[in-house]
Amino acid sequence: MQIPIEYYLILSAFMFSVGVVGVLTRRNAIVVFMCVELMLNSANLTLITYSSYLGDTVGQLFVFFVMAVAAAEAAVGLAIIIAIFRNKLTINIDEINILKW
Amino acid sequence: MNFESLNTSLQFLKPEIAVSILLVVVVLFDLIFQNNKKALPVISITGLLVTGYFIIEQFTLNGYAFNLLTADAFGAFFKLIVALSAIFVILFSISSSEIIRCEDRQGEYYTLILGMVLGMFLISSATDLILIYLSIELLSLSSYILAGFVKTVERDSEASLKYVIYGGVASGVMLFGISIIYGLTGSTNLYTINSILQSAQLGGFTFIFAGFMVLSGIGFKISIAPFHFWTPDVYEGAPITITAFLSVASKAAGFALLVRFIKITFFDSMSESGYWILLNVIDWQSLLVLLSILTMTLGNFAALWQENLKRMLAYSSIAHAGYLLLAVAVLSNEGLIAVLVYFSIYLFMNLGAFFVVMLIANKIGSEDVDDYKGLGSSVSFLGVALAIFLLSLAGLPPTAGFIAKLYLFIALIDANMVTVAIIALLNTVVAYYYYVRVLKNLYLVRKEVEMEPVGVSFGNKIIILLLLIPVLVFGIYFTPIVNLAKSSIAFIGF
Amino acid sequence: MLTEFGKIFVFFLTAIIFVVIALFVAKLIRPSRPTKEKLTTYECGENPEGSPWVKFNIRFYVVALIFLIFDVEVVMLIPWAVVYQQLGFVGYLLGAIFLILLGVGMAYEWRKGDLEWARPKIEEPIFTKSIPPPEIQKKLTLTE
Repeated sequence: MQIPIEYYLILSAFMFSVGVVGVLTRRNAIVVFMCVELMLNSANLTLITYSSYLGDTVGQLFVFFVMAVAAAEAAVGLAIIIAIFRNKLTINIDEINILKW
Repeated sequence: MNFESLNTSLQFLKPEIAVSILLVVVVLFDLIFQNNKKALPVISITGLLVTGYFIIEQFTLNGYAFNLLTADAFGAFFKLIVALSAIFVILFSISSSEIIRCEDRQGEYYTLILGMVLGMFLISSATDLILIYLSIELLSLSSYILAGFVKTVERDSEASLKYVIYGGVASGVMLFGISIIYGLTGSTNLYTINSILQSAQLGGFTFIFAGFMVLSGIGFKISIAPFHFWTPDVYEGAPITITAFLSVASKAAGFALLVRFIKITFFDSMSESGYWILLNVIDWQSLLVLLSILTMTLGNFAALWQENLKRMLAYSSIAHAGYLLLAVAVLSNEGLIAVLVYFSIYLFMNLGAFFVVMLIANKIGSEDVDDYKGLGSSVSFLGVALAIFLLSLAGLPPTAGFIAKLYLFIALIDANMVTVAIIALLNTVVAYYYYVRVLKNLYLVRKEVEMEPVGVSFGNKIIILLLLIPVLVFGIYFTPIVNLAKSSIAFIGF
Repeated sequence: MLTEFGKIFVFFLTAIIFVVIALFVAKLIRPSRPTKEKLTTYECGENPEGSPWVKFNIRFYVVALIFLIFDVEVVMLIPWAVVYQQLGFVGYLLGAIFLILLGVGMAYEWRKGDLEWARPKIEEPIFTKSIPPPEIQKKLTLTE
């Protein structure tokens, strides 16, 4: 029996929502980054789903690029977190607040 | 694929290839001659001038490369703006005290600027969603690092962290939108998507939602209203050179992408008087007008009570994004000409304003509007230059800023969008207040402490004059830029 | 009639039940004579010291970041390898350019010293006769 395409799409939409909610509510910068990665991966799941559904390889190709970009983004993000930890000794987003209004 | 098809495609990619080679050369030079940091800006500028030659060559070209990019006059125009502002920013960096302090990391600085330039080149000519996403990420990743380049300063690393979080979310949202568009149409090429949209009835909530998600990713880059939160923080925290670069070049590339995305993907036909009739999928005009009014009002009113000049200029650049978006929202060739004219003038006046702020900050160590009190006599040349740049940003008649606004309003009124034009006009009046407040502090407030006159080196004077002369000349003799803009609205395929 | 999901579920269930039964049976038949030595955490024969929940040294992050980048960039070679046969010499050139650029990145990291395990610099105190040692200097400034 084939699993209907809707299931995959609902799963990826759910992952995306978890990512968005996590970004909005979490206070630890590293966890925020994990949530951003979750958003990217949910988009990957959608791409793969459609790619197999449409029988088109472009989607899978796109996923490779997205994975590479996500890794680069994670690396840059973690490097920036290390830089800010060296300056402020915290990565709590609430305490990173010298720039406002 | 064979050599011939590769060769024809590469013909259209000369500027991009030139920048890539330049980037590798800068990295290698930095690795081999580690102690010769002085040569890096020289190499970068020389390389960018060569790139500029290839860009000018591209104005007459018309073609696709690998079905991913196009080479046309429209893209070439924006590439020219990006390359010009990159040259100016590198010139600024030579005398920026913030950058000079990070002496051992100069190589990275110029490499990353070139990375941004490459990203923006690709953005302004990309016609495939994959390439759009990748080039936006290339631009973003380089600019995240540059925003926090002075990593020992708290303000810089905070700006960088905020930028990377907002940017990551924006690119995630955009990618999800792209994945839905791919699923609905089965293609990532904008032209193919356009033809599918024309044949099939693909309206419906899902497609609108996906389109809006992609718009939010682009809107993040050009900092329009609901996606602007990062702008003031990053602009204030980042080194001034990078702020100037982000406010001009990154915005230009974003607008090129926005126009291309809307015009290619949703294009139906062209009316006789040059208005674009878009497919009845998303009501772009009302959406863009709404966003632009929100953007300019928010930008102008928030700028009113800013104490830090960099932050004030950040909000003013949000407001300018609003005006530009309004010109896009006209959805006509005339509106597009207004966008191009606006950008070519905005380039000079905004870069100039940031450069003068940087030179003054180098001397007095502050960017606060209050610290400018009574500086007028000690910064004679810089003060006059800053006054002209700010008045031009405000849009006063003898300067070029007036011409930029004039073309915008003519396009609006020709399209019968009078109400919107009046709202924009009221916004310009609000903007006078905060620009003039700086000048009031400079010249009309009594001096509290005696200051030594702030000298400007000969080289910096030349750079300021290079920016100042166009601002003054284009205010009176603006036919060349209008002609250039008129010849650059040619899109491939239309 | 089981669905595809049902089969996987049965598989999971079997795995869990098997493990639980195995552990339970082992608990029944094994001898149990705990001593203090036996209950301590095994750390390669050393005496355990402190809590394992310490913060890791920041230098591990640098290594992890470098690994992450180079590990994932190589994923780009998979689509290239799939169509390599059709591309011919052009494909070879494209792959070579990609790998050379990765190599430049590697050389860059090497030259900048990011592959070195950064050792803390121990600064030896230098005493000369004219300058009093730091402790006395501190005292002097305090009395002033």
